[in-house]
Amino acid sequence: MTDDGTYRRDVLKAGGAAAALGVGGSGFLQSLVESEDDQDLNASVQSFVGENEVIQTVCSPNCRGKCPIDVHVRDGQVKKIEPHPPEDEQYKRACVLGLSHTQRVYDPTRLKFPMKRADWSPDDPNPEGRGPDAEFKRVSWDEALDLVADKMQSLKADHGAESVLFHEGSGNYGQTGKSFKRLASLFGATQSAWGIDTNVGRGFNRVTGVGAFLPPTNEAEDWENANTIIVWGSDIFSSQFQMDASKILDAIENGAKLVVVDPVYTTTASKADLWLPVEPGKDVHLALAMMHTVFEDETYDEDFLQKRTTAPALIRKDTGELLKASDVFEDGGEQQVVAVEQGTNSPVALEPETGGAYALFGEFTVAGVECQTALTKLRDHVADYAPEEVAEKTGVDAENIRTAIRWLATRGPGGIAPSYALGRYKHGHIFGQAYAMLMGMTGDYGRHGNIHAHHSGGATLAAGNWASPEDADPGPSLTFPNYPDAMIDGDPHQIRAVYSIESNMMGNQFPDRQRFRDAIRSLEMYVVADMHHTDTVQHADIIFPVPHWFEQEDISSGWGSHPHLGYRHKVQEPLWETKDDYYAIQELADRLGFGDRFPETKRDMLRKLAGRDDDIDFDTLFEQGTQKKESVPIVKYTDEFPTETGRIKMYDDDAPSEEGVTFDVPRPLEDRTADDYEKADEYPLMFMQKHSRFRIHSQYEMLNWVREINPEPQLDIHPKDAKARGIGDGEYVRVYNDRGEMVVKAKYNDAFQPGLVNTDQGWWSRDFVEGHLQDLTHNEVSEVGQTMAFYDVRVAVEPAPDDVDTDKYESGNPLGAGAEAAPTGGD
Amino acid sequence: MTNYGLVIDQERCIGCQACAVSCKQENNVPMGQFWNRVLTEGGEKMDTPSGGYPEDGGSGSLDMQYQPTACQHCENAPCVKVCPVNATYTRDDGIVEIDYDKCIGCRYCMAACPYNARVFNWDEPEHMPEEGTGDVEARPQGVVEKCTFCSHRVEDGLDPACVVNCPADARIFGDLDDETSTVSKYINEYETDQLLEDRGTKPKTHYISGEMSPGRPQTSDKMESELDDVSPWSDGDDDVPSKEADSVGSESSSSSHSVEGGEIPYATPAKSGGDD
Repeated sequence: MTDDGTYRRDVLKAGGAAAALGVGGSGFLQSLVESEDDQDLNASVQSFVGENEVIQTVCSPNCRGKCPIDVHVRDGQVKKIEPHPPEDEQYKRACVLGLSHTQRVYDPTRLKFPMKRADWSPDDPNPEGRGPDAEFKRVSWDEALDLVADKMQSLKADHGAESVLFHEGSGNYGQTGKSFKRLASLFGATQSAWGIDTNVGRGFNRVTGVGAFLPPTNEAEDWENANTIIVWGSDIFSSQFQMDASKILDAIENGAKLVVVDPVYTTTASKADLWLPVEPGKDVHLALAMMHTVFEDETYDEDFLQKRTTAPALIRKDTGELLKASDVFEDGGEQQVVAVEQGTNSPVALEPETGGAYALFGEFTVAGVECQTALTKLRDHVADYAPEEVAEKTGVDAENIRTAIRWLATRGPGGIAPSYALGRYKHGHIFGQAYAMLMGMTGDYGRHGNIHAHHSGGATLAAGNWASPEDADPGPSLTFPNYPDAMIDGDPHQIRAVYSIESNMMGNQFPDRQRFRDAIRSLEMYVVADMHHTDTVQHADIIFPVPHWFEQEDISSGWGSHPHLGYRHKVQEPLWETKDDYYAIQELADRLGFGDRFPETKRDMLRKLAGRDDDIDFDTLFEQGTQKKESVPIVKYTDEFPTETGRIKMYDDDAPSEEGVTFDVPRPLEDRTADDYEKADEYPLMFMQKHSRFRIHSQYEMLNWVREINPEPQLDIHPKDAKARGIGDGEYVRVYNDRGEMVVKAKYNDAFQPGLVNTDQGWWSRDFVEGHLQDLTHNEVSEVGQTMAFYDVRVAVEPAPDDVDTDKYESGNPLGAGAEAAPTGGD
Repeated sequence: MTNYGLVIDQERCIGCQACAVSCKQENNVPMGQFWNRVLTEGGEKMDTPSGGYPEDGGSGSLDMQYQPTACQHCENAPCVKVCPVNATYTRDDGIVEIDYDKCIGCRYCMAACPYNARVFNWDEPEHMPEEGTGDVEARPQGVVEKCTFCSHRVEDGLDPACVVNCPADARIFGDLDDETSTVSKYINEYETDQLLEDRGTKPKTHYISGEMSPGRPQTSDKMESELDDVSPWSDGDDDVPSKEADSVGSESSSSSHSVEGGEIPYATPAKSGGDD
């Protein structure tokens, strides 16, 4: 929009719009060219070096990078991105995606104006009108906000505030989500609870008392001290950690052994000293075989086991419970476990962080109760998992299993770096439990060079209870997998309206897409705030257009893989009528009667939140652009473990169970990867959706530079599997199961295990010839894991029907699917 | 004399494409064209290995490595020799560059270049955003263009964009005539190859494979020669290790990675090929 209120007819034509907005302009051109002689060196090339205004800001998707970047602006237009070393310069980083914002900022898919679905009204939502053919009408911000606030109020009056769901995704790592939750808490709305990638951490937490998504791990700067790194189910050099690739490379250069456990010969596997090509779903078997080897070799860390774990704790043979100090000593604690001294066999109540010559193995009678040590129980349990015994099942050579764990157990500090992929199998939490215990056996906690996850947690702004003020009466929370039942069937309670920010989940990233389509169609109002015209936005009733990150100031925090907070300075004013989510939240709060609970400007809010964190000074952060949070420990797990005993649990007498299996010790349990899965013949191929280097979830899908390299969704398939089905390399295939189908191009790829196929995740509907990868995935979660199991999926593959329309990829258009304009309406 | 060259450590390269894309951004390279491509040494297609998936549970024969490939800035550059109008020339600092005003679009240079490093603007170049990106002016229709080692940056004391933007620290730029420079030291200390050495082109891009180097462990975007401390490592601890140093990765293949017989592995299809 120009100053005189007219609108450009076109969708965004690059920086022309920015210039029309009066942003920047030639006013700030600075010539730093020293002399004309310099230019003469380069007679035919006009250089602009030194002429750019450079603004330091932060890239903000959910990739863990939180990369501080420099944005170069010239003539009112973003010209290029470069990494900006943060306060601690060794964390300089950026990736191909963050470097390409120059294209994303001006992409035609950006939303421009508030919109309303043309055939929606609060009293007559006309749910069938939602979907690919929905038409939208431009409205003013005030009208959009009034419609949403009024509908929320009437739903609250008629059905209770919990009938409104505030859904927050991971698409923008700033502080806005905290204010979103604050409004939800004050209003009493149902709030979203995470149900993705929470599996492995959950299992790890049962053992150590910490871990939610992945467990904490030493900060990346310490990784070069590792002597053995077992990357397990992670293509760490392609996904999430690539901006810190130099840290692992430095470890390798320093002499570390790199082991990669993966059914796919990934980029990471190609750098490994040893690759273990495990079959999907057999990771727990493999971990148990490694435990077996450590027992067999007697390479466990005795001192660590005695001092920091419950390995010497006694298990009662009569009840299977741990013997408690109160069973033995008059004044013994009820949570305290008991060991016996080697030699004397006299019982000792175990204190946290206290070593001693406790017997690690053996059977003892204490206070008249027959017992065995926890480590004895574990050794007996893994006795059946000798490497030779699991070699066939796991697909991994027995001697290679031994070599891998021997490196970890005998070469000094090291670690296991799993990703979220293992948790994308239904019972993935068991692996979390298994490797937490395995690392307890090798003593790899609390030392330099220990690694527990494929990225660290970095720094988080400690904002206290901003999201849930004391006087609020927050509504219930609802985990992602439970959305459809709540929206369609009212189980556990009816959701009638959704306000969604920072998320393309409901329309693109959640599994069993058709079920989520039905869920959306059950709503009376669906409000979606986004930067781009995504599939989710296409299903909305009210659209709030959000500016690009470069047009919103914020503090980048949380799940960053480096120990800094970053200040996301505005590079330019919001284009068109886009407005920061904070504006909508504050305006809605005003209309709902909570206006006085939100600072007037976003910067006031940021200053207030930063003020709650003693380790951060707002002005320093603002001026420097990054501030290292010195309180973030580089080495983790140096203190008492937050378990009942203060120790790592090598046996869990209060373990959960599911499907008849109890997890007192790690016990393999599989779903669709099981050899005897009932539909294994009908759908013989396992289907995963790898994170690639070319998108972060569904973000950056539109980058034209990247699309030249990675133009369209493909099915990675072993040539043997393809040929058996009459599928040629590069031919289109139909991938299907009992939920749905997609049509994509087959890519012969010897890196993939026969029996396993893959389509990289994050593509939008418009990118598929037919269907979508999430039409194949399912929404069944395990009782204990409560995590969407995207990779625990089976499919069949056949040549695509002759009549599929593949023109968009066969017309030689280097831009792939081509960028379709977002609905501009109104003009 | 200054003689600029590039060392690419293929052991460090993770194939992330940051160099390929940041090159396009910095140099305002038109859509459909690449000056710098990250090729896969392995299978026939990008990001695929050669060899077979292990059926016995062992590590098998799969092999894959990345080979970023751009103009090699050859000392004996065939493109310079064949240019009928002297549009392609070697600068005093060793950079092979094109005077776009002189280029008549005959494309002899493209035929002469064994590295497929040059592209031709058959059509009116298209940029996204259309006003262009980066720090150099766009080239017109009808000329050949290619990597300049970011000469516009080098003249300002800055390393090329592909070097500064590499998250794996796998690219090192510097003066081959200065024996104290990191590029000279790496070429001396590590096993390095040049592409198609038998062609006698004497490329100034050297590829490390076999043993991994420390890469370019400096955070500044400045060229090494512009840094106060000549060594890019502030504490000196990480200085170039000797060959006797405990070497990991010794189990990986040390076979030659030079491209033989004019074969270039997978190339991203360019919009405008020489197929007239």
